[in-house]
Parts: sequence; C-alpha cells; structure tokens
Amino acid sequence: MTTRSAPNSIATEQTYWEDVRVGDAIGGYDLSLTWTKMAEQVSGSQDFYPVHHDPEFAAEAGHPAIFYNTGWTQAALCRVVTDWAGPAGWLRKFRFEMRRMNIPDDQVHARGKVVGKSDLDDAHGVVDLEVWLENDRLGVTTPGWATVRLPKRG
Amino acid sequence: MVRVAGPYDIEAVRQEWLGRTTEVVRGRYPVEYDSIRRHCHMVEDTNPLFLDPEYGESSVHGSVIAPPVMTRYFAGAGVWPPTTDNPMNIVREVPTRGERMINLNTEWEYVLPARVGDHLSQQTEVTDIFEKSIRLDPRSVWIVTETRITNQHSELVAIGTNTLCTHRTPEQVETEEGERPQ
Repeated sequence: MTTRSAPNSIATEQTYWEDVRVGDAIGGYDLSLTWTKMAEQVSGSQDFYPVHHDPEFAAEAGHPAIFYNTGWTQAALCRVVTDWAGPAGWLRKFRFEMRRMNIPDDQVHARGKVVGKSDLDDAHGVVDLEVWLENDRLGVTTPGWATVRLPKRG
Repeated sequence: MVRVAGPYDIEAVRQEWLGRTTEVVRGRYPVEYDSIRRHCHMVEDTNPLFLDPEYGESSVHGSVIAPPVMTRYFAGAGVWPPTTDNPMNIVREVPTRGERMINLNTEWEYVLPARVGDHLSQQTEVTDIFEKSIRLDPRSVWIVTETRITNQHSELVAIGTNTLCTHRTPEQVETEEGERPQ
C-alpha cells in the first residue's frame, strides 16, 4: 500500500527519556480559528450542542460568542503531547481546565514544557509536562497537565 | 437537562443521585479509521500513528491506534440515530436549575491503546453534585462523573473524571433571583 502523504516528521521522531531535561520547551503548533475550523470541530468531535456553532444560541445563554468545544480542546492539547513523545511514547495521564474560551477569529498557540522526570523500569522513564492553549486575545485559556511514558535508549 | 424552575433542594438531589451508576454499555461501532481522520482534521494532526495503516502496523502498537483522548468517543453511541442507552444521558437526567451547559475540567488515565477494530464499552457514575457561583449564574449546579472504559476483552482502557457546569440563561436568573447577571 502506498502512503498518501509524507509522515509527520515531528510525530515520527522518537523522544527518549534520557534526552529530556526539566525545563525543556515543547514548541507545539498554531491554529487559526476560522469559520471553516469551527465546522471541522463539530465534524471531528460530533458535538452538536449549539453553543459551539450557533452565535444566537450562545448569545442567548450570555456568552459573547460561540466557543470551541471539549472535543476540539482535548484534541489540540493531546496533539502537543503525541507530536512530542513520538510513536513509542504513551500518554498515561492527562487533565485540563477550560478556564477561558477560544472563539472564532482567535489565533491559538498550543505549547508545552517539561516540568518533571522520573525513572520507571529498565526500558522506560516517565516525564511530566505542562501543556496549554493560549490565544492572542486572552493569553492562556486552557492549562493542562500530562504524564508521558517514554522509552529509554538502552 | 431536567430544569427545576421552582424551589431547588441541592441536598435532596445529591442524596438521590450520588453513586448512581449506568449499566456497562457497548459503543455503537468499533474503533474505526474515518472517525480518527475527522478528529485529526480538527487540529491539523498528520501523525501517521493515527492515520496510516502501514505505519501503524510497523509501530510498537501493531496497528493504527486512536488518539488517547478519543477513547470516550468510541465507547459511546454518537448523536445519531438517537438512543436511550447512552451512559452520558445520566448527566442530562440530574435535576438542575438551568439547562445550559459548560464542560469545565477533564482528567483521564489511559491504560491501554484503542486499536482500530477494538470495541469499547463504558460505565459512568455520578460522583459529586454541588452549587457554585459563576458570572452567568449565582447558583449554577456542577455535576462530576467518573467513567470507566473497557475493551472487548474486558480490559481497562481508560478511566476519567469530568466536571460539567449547568446554568440558567440571564433571563431565567433575572426572573428567579431578581437581578440580572453582569
């Protein structure tokens, strides 16, 4: 079978536990929240609650605009981790708080950093990450925390 | 949500609903490629571990896997066609002051990968209900649930906690509290 697109070089590059240092930054990626992206978040999450796509419904509930849903938010944060961890990394624990909203026309930046590191067994170590979404309007909207199992070079 | 427009007794609701647990309900479909593709499209994720069968076969997982955060999606029934045995319906049955919802905090532990072809099930328990003042509603009702997801071998795939805020519209708050939220 022919691969239809080039592999994502970030996600296919393996991160090894020995090479990680507390304080390392995770570059992440950026997203522009166009109205097409809004349609993609509904399609991808299958979350049809109107507050995420119907401006009138959102205004009626007291919100300034529609806001991006949980499915999109966790996908965006998860990608920061899985891109960085590589194909043999495993997201063990993950939590996030949706404190402020990401809305149409926001420029969103998904980022992370390494905040902890510990040994697990002969073949693996564990790394703690802070990950977050921020936008140009509000700064950090969605802080998150992840624990990732990484292979050792051994 | 089941909106209670009149007097609302949070203690009675807690007594009736805390600990209430759904049956173990199997997801409508197995883990499948196209849902993963749409999920990845949302955030422009091109990770071949999630998208490329050939790459997945050669990986440590031996097949394409779903992004870990999709496990709950595949353990559910989806929105169409409507069904009455979706475990998440338990949240919508809890009596609340308002019908509007904002999902706030989510926490998961992922134990095993969900591979394409796996068939996941879920069971959800209501673990906390409390009141909290927010900008939109001085007496919003928050509902905490815990969900366990297992695969076709009854192995634990993931366990998660979710916190949902329910609130009234500004008009409902004004009518019932005598003051419109700012």
